[in-house]
Amino acid sequence: MRPLALLCLCIVCCSKPAAQAPLRIAAAADLQGAFTELGKELERSTGRRVDISFGSSGLLAKQLEEGAPFDLFAAANASFVDRAVRAGACDGASKVIYARGQIVVWTPKAVAPPRTLADLSEPRFRKIALANPEHAPYGMAARQALTRAGIWSVLTPRLVYGENVQQALQFARTGNADAALVALSLALSAPEGTSMPVGLDQYQALDQALVVCTRGKATSAAREFAALLASDRGQEVLRHFGFLLDTQPGGAKTLPGTPGNEVVR
Amino acid sequence: MSWQPLALSLQVALSATLVSSVLGIALGALLANRRVPGRDLLDVLITTPMVLPPTVLGYYVLIGIGRRSAIGHLYERLSGSPIVFTVAGAIVAATIGSLPIVAKSARAALEAVDPTYLGAARTLGASAGRAFFTIALPLASRGVLAGVMLAFARALGDFGVTLMVAGDIPGETQTASLAIYDAIQGNREPEALGMILSLTLVAVSTLYLVNRLTGRRDAH
Repeated sequence: MRPLALLCLCIVCCSKPAAQAPLRIAAAADLQGAFTELGKELERSTGRRVDISFGSSGLLAKQLEEGAPFDLFAAANASFVDRAVRAGACDGASKVIYARGQIVVWTPKAVAPPRTLADLSEPRFRKIALANPEHAPYGMAARQALTRAGIWSVLTPRLVYGENVQQALQFARTGNADAALVALSLALSAPEGTSMPVGLDQYQALDQALVVCTRGKATSAAREFAALLASDRGQEVLRHFGFLLDTQPGGAKTLPGTPGNEVVR
Repeated sequence: MSWQPLALSLQVALSATLVSSVLGIALGALLANRRVPGRDLLDVLITTPMVLPPTVLGYYVLIGIGRRSAIGHLYERLSGSPIVFTVAGAIVAATIGSLPIVAKSARAALEAVDPTYLGAARTLGASAGRAFFTIALPLASRGVLAGVMLAFARALGDFGVTLMVAGDIPGETQTASLAIYDAIQGNREPEALGMILSLTLVAVSTLYLVNRLTGRRDAH
């Protein structure tokens, strides 16, 4: 019994309660780079710990619906944020569209990149990876672009689906797919390959929306993080990680100090 | 809803169970033999997949049989298609988890066979192989069968490794566990309810049968 008691004591002592409840953020996989950076900055300026769970928007929305204690939810598509609001997990009034994602065709070094999207129908692209278009925002956008290019049905037998956009990129990075349709923000983290941008008019806008949630313990910190994203510094980081900074009219608040339609790499 | 993923899962699980059974019984026999050198190390190697996180295991498999690997390259040259992102890849993924279960159960069951019977068979002129197949294996059959059934349940339920190496292609490599996961993420669980209940039923009945097989005989 004694070792067990000691172990319990150790667990109790080692898990000292934090001075402040940590800010818990649920964020879509494409935000990994930008949010990690901004999370660290918020930690430095407020002293509060920031924990970010990156995953697929659909799964995070589901977890929020089931009572996950997140303070902030940032999805890769506004519809997932709406789902969490409808379930009563988040405050609809706090919804903001703060940036827009874009898709690129990423090819590993060994593969000559396509010049246009339609080039993907060339037989040398034997396997093409994308996020699952049934539920992943970047997968849906990729399907729209391929359909519009008229090559969706030709490519169907060659497509492989990642659970989220990060996994789709991994399939191509490991050389198992010859190309991947992924978020520019992730492609920038894989500089060993080539990224070919896909025209923004080829798919429905990937509105990066966030909402403050009600079941967490650090709601005020969540508002601070949302303000940081809207600040010049936040916008700079988002731009650096490949996001577009025009905001959508229609329901959501427009952010102050947001530059217009510009494509920045 | 579509039952196609469930049919695919059964096909993949049955194939994986077949491969695991043949390899697993052979490995179990090897491990049960005290004269095999380095059998403890072999046992560790075979058991490791049971305790590794699916992500680590999936990564190894993706690298090990991927298109840049020697195995993947050779397979693609011979068959014209890669192993990853095909049914073959899904079968490999399911086999990785189920093989150790058969090997472990077979080893335990074969070690429990009284060696006197085997000695007697050998003195009567039976070859080692004949003694194994006509004496040891039949005597160990309940334990081996229990292992095979557990391996089937494990193969049917594989998720992590399949997700990483099979590519979740509807109609080709989207097994029931992947389809259920996608349905949950897409907020379409009602569509997957049939598959959820079917997998649960198979798992529960398999465990019940395994308990019946491995329970003490005098308890019946």
